[in-house]
Amino acid sequence: MRLIQKLLDFVRTYFALLVVFAVFLWSAWVIATYRAQQAPPGSIVIRLGHWQLEASVREGLDEMARDYQKLHPNVVIIQDAIPEGTYGQWVSTQLMGGTAPDIMQVGAMLPDNIWLSYYNRYFQPLSRYVNTPNPHNAGTDIADVPLRRTFKDGMKTAYVAEMQEYMSVPLSQFGVRIFYNKDLLKKLTGLDVAPLDYREFLAVCQKIQSVTNPTSGQPYIPIAGSAYHFGHWDGMMFSPVTYGCFRRADFNRDGFVGNDETFVAFKTGQLDFLYPPLACWLKMLREVTGYFQTGYTGLGRDEAVFLFAQQRAVFMTTGTWDARSLQEQAKGQFEVGIMDFPIPARDDPVYGGVVEGRIYETPGAGFRFGISRTSKNFDVALDFLLFLASQRGNEKLNRIIGWIPAIVGTELDPLLQAFEPHLEGIYGNINFNLGGNTAVTWGQIYSLYQVNQISFEDFATRFTEYYLQNGLKDFLEQQRDWRRGMQRNEQYLAGIRGRAILADEAAAAATDPAAKAAAELDAASAWVRYRAITSSRQIWGELNHARQLDLITRDHLPADYVAPYEYSPAVLTKIRERIRAEVAP
Amino acid sequence: MADLIKRLGVALLAGALAAGGSACGKKNATGGDVATLISEAWTKYRLSEFQDAQLTFEAARASAQPGSDAWAMATYGLATTWDLRRPGEDPKLATKLYQEILTNAPASPMIPWTELALARQKHLVPVGQEPDYAAVHKAYQHIMDAFPGHLAAKEAFLYQESIELAKLEEASTRAAVKRLNQFVQSDSTEFTGPAWSLLAVAHTTLKNPAGRLHAEQKSFELTEVDPADPFVEFAWAYWNLATIAEFEVGDFDLARHYYNKLLEAYPNDIRVYGCKQALARMDALEAQIRAEEEGR
Repeated sequence: MRLIQKLLDFVRTYFALLVVFAVFLWSAWVIATYRAQQAPPGSIVIRLGHWQLEASVREGLDEMARDYQKLHPNVVIIQDAIPEGTYGQWVSTQLMGGTAPDIMQVGAMLPDNIWLSYYNRYFQPLSRYVNTPNPHNAGTDIADVPLRRTFKDGMKTAYVAEMQEYMSVPLSQFGVRIFYNKDLLKKLTGLDVAPLDYREFLAVCQKIQSVTNPTSGQPYIPIAGSAYHFGHWDGMMFSPVTYGCFRRADFNRDGFVGNDETFVAFKTGQLDFLYPPLACWLKMLREVTGYFQTGYTGLGRDEAVFLFAQQRAVFMTTGTWDARSLQEQAKGQFEVGIMDFPIPARDDPVYGGVVEGRIYETPGAGFRFGISRTSKNFDVALDFLLFLASQRGNEKLNRIIGWIPAIVGTELDPLLQAFEPHLEGIYGNINFNLGGNTAVTWGQIYSLYQVNQISFEDFATRFTEYYLQNGLKDFLEQQRDWRRGMQRNEQYLAGIRGRAILADEAAAAATDPAAKAAAELDAASAWVRYRAITSSRQIWGELNHARQLDLITRDHLPADYVAPYEYSPAVLTKIRERIRAEVAP
Repeated sequence: MADLIKRLGVALLAGALAAGGSACGKKNATGGDVATLISEAWTKYRLSEFQDAQLTFEAARASAQPGSDAWAMATYGLATTWDLRRPGEDPKLATKLYQEILTNAPASPMIPWTELALARQKHLVPVGQEPDYAAVHKAYQHIMDAFPGHLAAKEAFLYQESIELAKLEEASTRAAVKRLNQFVQSDSTEFTGPAWSLLAVAHTTLKNPAGRLHAEQKSFELTEVDPADPFVEFAWAYWNLATIAEFEVGDFDLARHYYNKLLEAYPNDIRVYGCKQALARMDALEAQIRAEEEGR
């Protein structure tokens, strides 16, 4: 009786502590039994963490895990699908706590410098495997091709230049196109397929806008837009119109117009907003966004998706990442079509002389996975990643997900044919971002122009005035810490130099001829790397800065100035003399 | 019972605090021979684990015989860590350690690299300050004079000429051209490519397009490539050579050669459209001039 009383007193006194202890025990038991259920005793468990909550991604990875298990029955692959919003924190705690999954999706949801430090500390470099064939490609036409050559982009996105190492394996490519409601388009315009010609596209938008939606009593919305979607339209359709600016402003003739070159071109009168590529860019922007719903700049991605899903809008841009889920949402309600961005015809009276073709799309791969250093089964984790990156595996994975395969020789899902990247074309060639207040002013005035609150003339006058008065100051401020970059390079180079000196010492110390030869080769390679990086990064800092300052402070161009892509009289004379000699009897 | 639990709790708390306190104490790297410690320390440096690198270099330095090559290497690593780590750098301590190497291990193979590090300290001053260029020049010149043929001396030479060319003045550029021309005559290929590249810049300043094209071609021929780096590609080099040949020298055959090289080797490059435009542009100009000449 006394004992019971004592026990009751004890429970009363330490009730909170006991509850915490009990909950801890219960959690530990649940986790232990859950994991035991997932992984039978004796099996090798590979955990894979990612932020893709789309059902098709989880389904795709599960299916590939089942396929892999047929080859390796003792391997169990378990996914940890973490929401985008918390992935960064989750990755950080898992890596720092030493409990990270074997395989983790990398490269986003955290700033680049954080990923760099994580790669350094917590991930296994994969460089030694990229120059050997992928064993899972046996029996295919790329059986003997080194792994990195089997990727459409040469595995560029997997390479971390700061570390000089390949740190991940990318599995998919992405692109942006226009999705449209085929049934609604047919109903409102009579067309089966959306037009790819710019003028015809505008006419279709006009026609859609003229029909009243019986449900809402409002006109139908031709294009579902938002601040998020505007980026797609601008990047894929409007900005590329500025391509031709290089002819006047690419002073160093590298093919691109930088922020310093844009500023000098404006200051010296080589460019202004009346220059056709710039005027047409802004004109097209206004023409197309005129068919977005009112107030689109204040809306987010989801609002636009609702309009499209509720059949109140006909067109909407989105990427491969949404293709499958949009199709699923529309199932049973309407048919989804995918089209490329419309472009003006070569004989278009306004744009014909300016828009030279379709946009160039970089064939870079994403959906990248690295292997954590704490993985107890590195070889198995790597083999599973290679399985996913094999020609057959990558094609199947991406077919299930609805994305574009990253490996050469793979077939694209018919739904995604329109996403095939354009590997030849034009690109945006203007950059007004000088930082500071110039960038803020650009943002303000550009936003007002987007929503039709100021005219083109007002936009051009107001921004040009501010830009010319304040641009130089902001540029100089932006460039003030240019030496910091050189210091970062110096830190990095010292590490490479240390490695090379050690490699020299190892070569000198080696006694066995074969080992000595290998060590000498390693040392030579380390020094080549050191010299290559010193040459490309560190020698030019001072010189590039001086040349950039020389350019940006110019108020006038020389009297005999010739635009970068025009021939000087001397060159023309030389060519004429050569041809004259050729045609002379 | 309650008393017992209290005592147990206090003991656990004290144990946890003691364990935490010991973890916060000064760490020491122990174990391993000097060579292994130095190798481990450099690995930690490359992984940006600067505190561990510092402790391991210190352990290696303490284990090595003062003045020996291993001691010099450990001290150099320690000095480099204090010099270049961010945050937590201590450049004054780094300078002191570099000086110790010069004093105590004058025959060490690390001497040229130590001298280069001291020169770089003078050159890479903190943001907002301007280097004392006379002192920088003197430091680089000292390395070139004291260690002719050493890689550190060649690197010092390139930094020095880069400073001279950055003045963008005719007189200093002409003087740099003389020295660079002498440098590229050497049999060694070490840093010869970038020296040609600096010559190309010099010829740009001097408005000598033929000289620039020649220097760019030589630089391209002598480029050293890290075979593992997928970003090392020659698309930019082909474009650069082609546009110089087309617009500055008027050598259309050479321009076509390089534009075509880019198209063949890098069919997915962003400049492919520009290359095709350039080839068409040259054809059109030649056809126009030919028609004019034939009609004369």
